[in-house]
Amino acid sequence: MSRIIGIDVGGTNTNAALLEDGNLVATAKYPTDHHALLSSAGAVLEEIMLSLPEQSKQNLELHLSTTLTTNAIVEGCGEPVAAILSPGPGVNLADLEFPFPVFAVKGAIDHRGRETEPLDLAEIGQAIRSIRQQGINSLAIVGKFAVRNPCHELEIAKLLQKESSDILSLTLGHRLSGRLNFPRRVMTAFLNAGVSRLQAEFAGMVKQLVSSYGIGGPIFLLKADGGTMELDESLTRPVETILSGPAASIMGTLALGSLDDQTVVTLDIGGTTTEIAVLVGSDPLTERDGAVIGGYRTLVPALFSRSIGLGGDSRVYWNEGKLEIGPERKGPPVALGGPELTPTDAVIALGYVSFGDRQKARAELERFGKQAGLGVKEEELAERIIAVFCERAITGVRRVFDYLNQMPVYTVSEVLAPKGLQPEKLIGMGGPAEFFIPKIAAGLGLPYQVLPYAEAANAVGAAASRPTVAINLRADTALGKLVVPELDELEDIRHAMTFDLKNARELAREKVLVYAARMGVYPEQIGTQLDRSEIEITTEEAFNVVRGFYTAGRIFSLTAQIRPKVNPVKTGF
Amino acid sequence: MPNNSNRLGLVFFPAFDWAISPDHPEREERLLYTRDQIVEEGLLDLPGLVEYRPELATEKDVQRAQICIPTVKSVVTESHLVAAGGTITAADKVMKGEVDRAFALLRPPGHHAMRFVHGSRGFCTINNEAIMIEHLRHVYGAHLKIAVVDTDAHHADGSQDIYYNDPDVLHICLHQDGRTLYPGTGDVAELGGPGAYALTLNVPLPPESGDSELLYVLEHLVMPVLADFGPDIVINAAGQDNHYTDPLTNMNVTAKGYARLTEILKPDIVVLEGGYSIEGALPYVNVGIILALAGLDYSAVREPDTQPPEAPTAVKEAVRRTVGFLQDTWGKRREKDLDSLYGCGPFFKRQRRIYYDTDEIMEEQQEEIRRCEQCSGYRVVLSAAAKSYRSGRRAAAVLIPWHVCKNCRDEAMEAFERLKPDRELEYVYLQDTADDRYLVKSARQ
Repeated sequence: MSRIIGIDVGGTNTNAALLEDGNLVATAKYPTDHHALLSSAGAVLEEIMLSLPEQSKQNLELHLSTTLTTNAIVEGCGEPVAAILSPGPGVNLADLEFPFPVFAVKGAIDHRGRETEPLDLAEIGQAIRSIRQQGINSLAIVGKFAVRNPCHELEIAKLLQKESSDILSLTLGHRLSGRLNFPRRVMTAFLNAGVSRLQAEFAGMVKQLVSSYGIGGPIFLLKADGGTMELDESLTRPVETILSGPAASIMGTLALGSLDDQTVVTLDIGGTTTEIAVLVGSDPLTERDGAVIGGYRTLVPALFSRSIGLGGDSRVYWNEGKLEIGPERKGPPVALGGPELTPTDAVIALGYVSFGDRQKARAELERFGKQAGLGVKEEELAERIIAVFCERAITGVRRVFDYLNQMPVYTVSEVLAPKGLQPEKLIGMGGPAEFFIPKIAAGLGLPYQVLPYAEAANAVGAAASRPTVAINLRADTALGKLVVPELDELEDIRHAMTFDLKNARELAREKVLVYAARMGVYPEQIGTQLDRSEIEITTEEAFNVVRGFYTAGRIFSLTAQIRPKVNPVKTGF
Repeated sequence: MPNNSNRLGLVFFPAFDWAISPDHPEREERLLYTRDQIVEEGLLDLPGLVEYRPELATEKDVQRAQICIPTVKSVVTESHLVAAGGTITAADKVMKGEVDRAFALLRPPGHHAMRFVHGSRGFCTINNEAIMIEHLRHVYGAHLKIAVVDTDAHHADGSQDIYYNDPDVLHICLHQDGRTLYPGTGDVAELGGPGAYALTLNVPLPPESGDSELLYVLEHLVMPVLADFGPDIVINAAGQDNHYTDPLTNMNVTAKGYARLTEILKPDIVVLEGGYSIEGALPYVNVGIILALAGLDYSAVREPDTQPPEAPTAVKEAVRRTVGFLQDTWGKRREKDLDSLYGCGPFFKRQRRIYYDTDEIMEEQQEEIRRCEQCSGYRVVLSAAAKSYRSGRRAAAVLIPWHVCKNCRDEAMEAFERLKPDRELEYVYLQDTADDRYLVKSARQ
């Protein structure tokens, strides 16, 4: 029997879920302590473990999602980091205004991965010494177009390790993402270097905690893309664990919702915000470029989600005679002892829920109505608040789909393709979901579902998630070069004359397995649940290289990956 | 990210699935390396930059600017309609105030496509700028004064043809001297029709002209003329084949030169035209143009190869002479005795042969322009086109301009009535821009 415990250490609560052969058999909940993230994890773990026989602990697998790296980045409390960058020609580096010390060095690679200017080793040596003098021990090394040819980044890293072997953490841009976008790669590498030490400490604590309970199975962390990553691998790529909470929630919807291959919009209605995500045919949509966190744009693969400042505890107020909700939250609802009127008060006042002080809510509504000089009844005002709340959510959903349908496309066939992703179903979760989702769905004209076990959905999502890996392969047969940046591979193409798209696809699939093995996701482990056919080619480009009027070769660019998926979950305990 | 001052709209449409033919310069990967450079530079993340999806131009959009023979559908592919539509998208975003400037970075190009379209010439089939301009005048008012500054290395004979007699559109064209490059036209003596004298200005530049020459023309001719003309909208038809690495031309302009040009010109709308050094020039030129449009520093934009030398003195002198002649022509345009140029009869007549290199078509055109004191005058055009191995096709058209006077309208309608399609003359068109009408008479119906 396979047993997986999923734990989501969220902002307010820590939830746990136990899956036995895909059956949800137990959940647990405990308030999160921000100063000791793992104490609440320990508490829920203990509760779940009570129901388990002693001998099962040996193979117990743990999936953990925490706000550790997210908080460190948002609160700006990572290690001090310096970056050595080779920006080559283009945008003025000073204009990019990176919020950390940057040392620009000579050396350039062009868009096809050719060296157009060599490195100056003396200059780099000087930069390293200067960084060390400033007492900075975490470094990011990023070169423009290094994903097309990582030789400069690797050479700088070699020099660095020779000159100062005691460096705390070193991040090379091309290893974190094989995709283009130099400023984002710089930001991603910077954030990664900054949270490395924190992640190492955290990993040590997790191992301690787990061994203290005698748990012997593998430990995985949840990533922003809804996939999992082995705990040890997270030491080199901790930045991928950001935003794992929202990802866990989306994966939870996948595991618990009934999706029927439709285009589903999900609303996670919380106290302060509502998170909107989209699932298309049981696959969650991903961000085009990567996660944005704390205002930093990164290349971290992430599930698509948009947040609106609208929740059950949002402040309700008059703005020039107009009823407005949020985005501010002043505290809990008045009916629960809070300071200002909230949408939840409106729901309580109408008697739709059994909690809260109904009298208090009604009194507050009356006062609120008088404030605007309205002679309306409390009931009417409460209905109006609820209507405005639903309208805001509906507008939010429409905006998300407008955005998705406005995404630029680069081929004629895509422009001509029948327009439009449109929602076919609404799935809601979160505290106020039960009440608001049917009304929002009616406004959108959609069927709906309120997720069962909504409170534990994040933990279920964490438990049901599976490993994801992605590699980018680029083969340029005119230059005879093949590069897989994530693997540090830059090779000559054998038989460049006959290398074709089919070869490129096969090779890309192989490289995914190599990479998966390196990341602690062993082929046999994938093999138990995933076969090779689950490795998907998610982007593919093939272009001729023409010299004069003759085709001199072809360029193939492919992304191959094991996409985020969940193991099916059965409920009903 | 950089804190730039301008909001810039970008309609990027590389048409990765369209080519004239597999080895043709106008092929799928023309903007591939440009896409790579733009994405790697992170330009799509610029705070003021909004990327828009191109719309599809309609048949009606094309018919406002051009006459496709026999029909729009018969000469265009969907890709042409996306390129023209994307140019319209860019212009609309500026007109609606969503952005301050917009760049239609798309293909296929259009500036060799003339009023009459029998097929493709100079890699162009329909004219993106003209279709956009006619859309603007249709939607935002016919009184718009528009300036097009074409900086492609090839003479923009198509755009010149369409606005040849239009008093509201100033067309300034900088290009490599026509005696040394396709399409061969674009001499300083080509100054437009009787209704729009000197609103066509051609600045032929000798081979080996570089940044200094381009910027000299801009500062001493283009900017003063624009200040004088006072356009509501400035459009830059930004071909990138003046670049020193372009395989089809002999010019020495750099990416930084293009960026500086953009910075000085401050165009409202930039539309990509030609440029076939797809690896050595386009990635850098386009980054330079985007940075300049966004109001950001482009001084670090530099091609990887060695920079071209300054032009020889003889070239510099030739450019000064050309600019001097055109300054003089512009300054004295209102005093010019037009009868000495266009004759003193009621009609100005001209006869031309137009070669369609891409489709190997030869067209013969006869045109009569009504000389009128009240308006720019209606026009009657007779066109016969033939592929070498096929029999010819004859068509005629009556063109009614934007601000047509009553007399010209009546005469134009009479002319349209008189022209009857028969076995010789297959199609007769009426393009009435004033009333937004487009009529076709065909012998085949």
